[in-house]
Amino acid sequence: MLLEVTGLYKAFKDTQVLNDINFNVSEGEVVSLLGQSGAGKTTIIRCITGLERPDKGSIAIDDKNICKEENGVMKYADKKELFDIRKSLGMVFQSYHLFPHMTVIDNVTLALTEVRKMSREDAVTKGMAMLKMLGIDDKARQRPFELSGGQKQRVAIARSCVTDPKLICFDEPTAALDPQTTEEMTKIIRNLAADGMGVLIISHDIPFVNNVSDRILTVANGKIVDEITPK
Amino acid sequence: MTYIFKIIPQILDGLGITFGTFGVTLVLSLPLGMLIALCRVSKNKVLSSISGIYTWVLRGTPLLLQMFFVFFGLPAIGIQLFGRMRLPYVYLAFVLNYAAYFAEIFRSGIQSVEKGQIEAARLLGFKSSQINQKIVMPQVVKRTLPSIGNEIITLIKDTSLVYALGLTEIFKIARSISTRDVTIAPYLVVGCIYLLITAIITKILGLAEKKVYYEE
Repeated sequence: MLLEVTGLYKAFKDTQVLNDINFNVSEGEVVSLLGQSGAGKTTIIRCITGLERPDKGSIAIDDKNICKEENGVMKYADKKELFDIRKSLGMVFQSYHLFPHMTVIDNVTLALTEVRKMSREDAVTKGMAMLKMLGIDDKARQRPFELSGGQKQRVAIARSCVTDPKLICFDEPTAALDPQTTEEMTKIIRNLAADGMGVLIISHDIPFVNNVSDRILTVANGKIVDEITPK
Repeated sequence: MTYIFKIIPQILDGLGITFGTFGVTLVLSLPLGMLIALCRVSKNKVLSSISGIYTWVLRGTPLLLQMFFVFFGLPAIGIQLFGRMRLPYVYLAFVLNYAAYFAEIFRSGIQSVEKGQIEAARLLGFKSSQINQKIVMPQVVKRTLPSIGNEIITLIKDTSLVYALGLTEIFKIARSISTRDVTIAPYLVVGCIYLLITAIITKILGLAEKKVYYEE
């Protein structure tokens, strides 16, 4: 199993946001968490990416634990382990969070040159191939402010996928997209899954989720209340 | 006119002290200011509090008072840093004071960088030092350069305060000539010199702003 979430609890002050969340994602599978704003979807994804620490429960990505509960005591991955686990993980944020002072290609290749220590030449070759696959290689020398919402999102996808993650998480991927771009996004996500990547999406866009997902989990009040397999 | 041409070289004799104070302060207070700003935004509460108190005290009291404090106050409590030399005390007071102002500007710049960009970088595997160097600093430089420029222009004018410790910079020379010859012409000359220096600095800052500019 690529992602395994077991018995996840998280509270912010007095508000219980996650209440016993259990689910998993396999290689090549697209799983969506569907729910209203405030249902706890974003907190789930932030716990999976290690940006938040859950109060209870276990999360394993590719059999490595971000956190686990042993005899009632929580153990969290340390910095080194987290660094290692995040190599298998990609994340596309709702507001993309591109680096505004860099060109598109620099946004995409920075992690390759700085973190993976790849040569600039190899990184650009790989980055350009990724941009080409996403249909925005002609934007490589532009800066984020020159791009439309859909183009920015593709750059964010390229930036996450260029490091070959096994699992990629999308936070509200269609929130700022028109219907045509949403359709293109569906194809892109299906292609990533066809290449063997596990995809976890959080969204409240029911038609999109129906089209793109292998499984849909409905989240309400911090619990998974329903699971359906569309089509 | 002949009179003015006669006093210009006398006034320019003080430029060494003016530029020395300006240059030393700029070169040392910018990195110190950045260090204090990083402490201010640090999660470490002790570092953050100490730097908060530092900027409060240094921005909350006059530079002139701080100059007197390091020159007269420190030796009085037994701290003899530079013996009888005056200039190093001036540098010390200016650097400490300007670092506090720069720190506050840098702090606002650091905090203006979206938290999401830092999270995105962390997920891509960047270490904190790489995030600071590659993601945060370039944006801080661009966003704070206009305010930093303002402070730099204030600094060149503040150098006239060193006369209070008996050092002879352009303003003090102008004042002496004015008293000696009973005329305000030296003040006009010194005013024009400040204007010329600030015009050059403004031009350089404008070019620098252009170089780091990108639309957001």
